[in-house]
Amino acid sequence: MIQTIHIGRLLRETVSSPYRNLVTRPTGAAIRNRIQEALAESDCLTALLDFSDIELLDFSCADEVVAKLLLADEPCAGRYVVLQGLREDQHEAIEHVLTHHRLAIAAVGADEDHAEPRLLGWVTPDARAAFACVCTQGALTARDVAALLDWMVGRAEVALTALAGHRLLRAEHDRYLPLPIT
Amino acid sequence: MTRVVEVPASFDDRSFEQFAAAFGAWPPEEKILIDARGAQWSSPFGLLAMLTAGQALAEAKRERPLFTVPTSDEVKRYWARTGFFTYAAELFELHGKVPKAAAAGPSDVLLDVTPVRATEDVHEVVEKISQGASRILHGELGLEMKATLRFSMALSEACQNIVEHAGTSGWVAVQAYTFRRRLGRRVVVIAVSDAGIGFRRSLESTHAKRFGERWGDGAALEAALIQGVSRFRDPGRGQGLAFIKRFLDQWKGKISIRSGTARLAIVPPWDEDLPLAEHLPFFPGAQVQITIPAQDAEAR
Repeated sequence: MIQTIHIGRLLRETVSSPYRNLVTRPTGAAIRNRIQEALAESDCLTALLDFSDIELLDFSCADEVVAKLLLADEPCAGRYVVLQGLREDQHEAIEHVLTHHRLAIAAVGADEDHAEPRLLGWVTPDARAAFACVCTQGALTARDVAALLDWMVGRAEVALTALAGHRLLRAEHDRYLPLPIT
Repeated sequence: MTRVVEVPASFDDRSFEQFAAAFGAWPPEEKILIDARGAQWSSPFGLLAMLTAGQALAEAKRERPLFTVPTSDEVKRYWARTGFFTYAAELFELHGKVPKAAAAGPSDVLLDVTPVRATEDVHEVVEKISQGASRILHGELGLEMKATLRFSMALSEACQNIVEHAGTSGWVAVQAYTFRRRLGRRVVVIAVSDAGIGFRRSLESTHAKRFGERWGDGAALEAALIQGVSRFRDPGRGQGLAFIKRFLDQWKGKISIRSGTARLAIVPPWDEDLPLAEHLPFFPGAQVQITIPAQDAEAR
């Protein structure tokens, strides 16, 4: 099951105003707390954080909402968390803060956009290649990925294990699956 | 005794040094009179510097300073239009007739003089600027549409520095004008100023030791703007100024920060400013100026 958390709605409820700009650290921290509450109450496998109602996202807020969510002791209450509906400048802000912390998260387009997820933030080039491979091909073993990318199996295992450890892919037995977002 | 502080005829970040020097030792013992009668023009930086001086004197519990308004009707009208006199009246005993602010319409003032006291004010500033920024940045300066959002992000981060670090409130103003002397093009200028503790005191407890004897206002500015450090141990801090620098690099913009007795600038090719100036006259708090020039035809 997938839970969609509308960040614009949380913002309106949190700052009690009609603003669509997600700015300042206190606002970001308040939104992150609301997201963590929602994740803790949910039994969904995946949470989509939907930014499509958000106009501006500054660095301080991106750091508070996304980076600190991933840095928490119990990151995302064991859920897979994916960002949805980001615009280019928002991508840029999140990419910047996550790279700074050497973290990464997956992002997808708006509801109607069926493009493959993309990774924002810092992962190794191998992990990025393996992620793209699994997203386009579906469930794969390390041996499959190695064959597709012309790598040694050990290299594929390292990349896939890292992705699964950061909850950017789903590991089931010896297979790695794309994030459950549909 | 009253100490007269003359407002430079053309008041910008350069002539600011003359203004700052006129206060002598800070806080001045004498009653202060800020004499703006001869003022012919002021950048947003200059307007905020005057308010910051008034605020710092009030916070130092000095006698309420006097302020003589410009003689020029045109200058008075423009300053009124920016909202300057609304706040000046709270900080100074005004002498001279002050016009009522004209009704707002499309103008070069993107953001009136606006106080920044708390997080809510930053929201308000970002909300207000988004309405006029695209007209000026895209329409007049030839920046890409996406630059409007980045501009708002830069503004947000600059204002948050007051709330997070100054220890008191501050001011922001944004204006477009033609930068004849140095550039010969239209620019948009963000000015942010506060009367707070300044960069050196903000960073002292966490970073002074590392700099040893070099520690001072200049080193503190370098640490914040060049090295991206913050007084907070949180590793996510200090990215706001780093982003502003990157944004300005893309648009050949300039940032300068003056705090205490030093001033540090990231200088673009069109300007001849010194990257670092130290041992300047003391002025309280921190003053930031961000300048974004119209893009030349090739860049468009």
